[in-house]
Amino acid sequence: MKDGFRQSMAWLHTWSGLLVGWVLFAVFLTGTAAYLRPETSFWMRPELGVSRPAPGDAEVALRAMQGLAPTSPSWFIVLPDERETTTRVFWRAGPGRGGFREAVLDPATGERAAARETMGGEFFYRFHFQLHYVSVLWGRWIVSVCAMFMLVAIVSGIITHRRIFKDFFTFRPGKGQRSWLDGHNVAAVLALPYHLMITYTGLVLFMLMVMPWGVERAYPGDRAAFQAEAFGREAARPRVGTPAPLVPLAPLMEEAGRHWPGARISRVNVTNAGDAGATIQLVRADSERISFNAQSLTFDGATGALLQARGENRPAAEVRGVMYGLHIGRFAGPALRALFILSGLAGTVMVGSGCVLWAVKQRQAALKRGRVGFGVLLVEHLNVAAIAGLPLAMAAFLWANRLLPTGMTDRAAWEVHVFFIAWGACLLHPLLRRGRRAWVEQFALGAAAFALLPVLNVAVTERHLLASLLGGDAVRAWFDLGLLACGGLLGALAWKVSRHRPAGAGRRGGRVPDGAEGEPARAPAGRAAPAIAAATDA
Amino acid sequence: MMPTAMGLAFAGFAALSLAMDRHGEQVLGRRGLPAWQRRGLRVAGSALLGGSLTAVVGQHGWGMGLIVWTGLLTAAAMALAMLLCYRPRAVPMALAGIGIGLVVTWVGG
Repeated sequence: MKDGFRQSMAWLHTWSGLLVGWVLFAVFLTGTAAYLRPETSFWMRPELGVSRPAPGDAEVALRAMQGLAPTSPSWFIVLPDERETTTRVFWRAGPGRGGFREAVLDPATGERAAARETMGGEFFYRFHFQLHYVSVLWGRWIVSVCAMFMLVAIVSGIITHRRIFKDFFTFRPGKGQRSWLDGHNVAAVLALPYHLMITYTGLVLFMLMVMPWGVERAYPGDRAAFQAEAFGREAARPRVGTPAPLVPLAPLMEEAGRHWPGARISRVNVTNAGDAGATIQLVRADSERISFNAQSLTFDGATGALLQARGENRPAAEVRGVMYGLHIGRFAGPALRALFILSGLAGTVMVGSGCVLWAVKQRQAALKRGRVGFGVLLVEHLNVAAIAGLPLAMAAFLWANRLLPTGMTDRAAWEVHVFFIAWGACLLHPLLRRGRRAWVEQFALGAAAFALLPVLNVAVTERHLLASLLGGDAVRAWFDLGLLACGGLLGALAWKVSRHRPAGAGRRGGRVPDGAEGEPARAPAGRAAPAIAAATDA
Repeated sequence: MMPTAMGLAFAGFAALSLAMDRHGEQVLGRRGLPAWQRRGLRVAGSALLGGSLTAVVGQHGWGMGLIVWTGLLTAAAMALAMLLCYRPRAVPMALAGIGIGLVVTWVGG
């Protein structure tokens, strides 16, 4: 009976993992990159210098918004902080559910930042939960469904893994399928709390979209009432029609300082500016608490009276806030963020090795039957593009950021197009170059693309590594070094795959000495590489 | 405090792994430690992991402490797994290094 249960769980694990593995690989890798969203944005706007947040930033931004969108019903201002060096503003273009406009401002002057048009780190962040080229809603649904499969795959994987403690630290390289399984297990088990947390909290973020029934039953047809009760999100005050200037911001900031001693204000939201019904909402910085259940104070925009304090003493909303906060990890300082990134990479390795493991097993089964069918070839082909192609496409995105002319129309959109063109090319490439060659070439090209980015920086910007180091620009210096490390990691993978001798030949003939396959690999992802070749050797 | 907690976590995992047949052989070069030594290693390993939890929670409080600790455990276990795989004989050296580091930290701090 117990075996039967494990067997069925193994079946469930294999199929739930495979069906969504390629999407999950992309979600994990771009999601890991999203931990560095402000840093990526900063690197991708080389025109901007290092700036520190100043107390007057909010005031400057409000004045700028009066020029940018005087008639807009709502403004959302994200102030700069230790990581984000620009003021980002969003506003509703017209009344009702009209679209949003956005701009990136210089915090000191309130002018539009004099920088190239780019999505920056926002692209990886948005892609990881809503994809691209599909509507936002479709993208979120696809990712949510994949995340549900992920949760199923994790739980069934734990049950399937019968030697979870015995093999806790075990990795045996150079043994084909055995190594893949070890790598898959180590990446999964050692970062298991993270994998469970990130998948579960990711689903919680979209719970109202995925499972709306509870709310609909309790609040039929009245989502606003639920929002007000659960999150303290009051319906917007209507426009009165009498003009009235906004009150000065400084006294409101002082009031917030009394309410949350020592806290920082990260966002300012304004509705109906210039009208007697205006409101100004000050939101406390989310980097100071684990929870992302935003605490805010809402003031009357015409009189400055405090209308509402939000985000306190609401247990259910706080639980959701903690989960949200854990997922985005914005409370994390540099050291903890590094740990999150390590675990994110482990997740990426787990998904990628799972996909390859499936292909290895299928090929073995097919060889036993004597014929390798279309399905196996298709999975192997897609594995190359999904796993080796994605980092290459991410590098292409950064190359486009440096090389597309600054005056070009739709420049930001074209950076993204380049990402998908490169990825699409990776999808076609294995048609021409079969099996292991396709893996090696895509990894090697990805390695070159990452490693040459700092070199390209010397040629086309003033912000090259040496300048960053001398100028004390730690973020750009670390980012360049990180790009070199990515190049090194992909290069190690390419090298490992190209050097690999099929495991069977080594074992049978004993021609390959142990050391040849057991070369020390510094890169954690490098350890599982030999079996890629095993998987692709026809 | 983070390096201290990290060192303790690594040492704890190392002790736990030495109590296991495969890794004990990889590191010490012989199989089958006596039962009392294994038990001692397990107790010491658990105590070291507990020590690293205490160090982290003492600095960050329970909420943030548990998050940091989980992340540290992942990093420490991965480092140990890689070391056991590629340089098993370096594990005792790593442990000695951690021991010296901890003593220096305590004396200095």
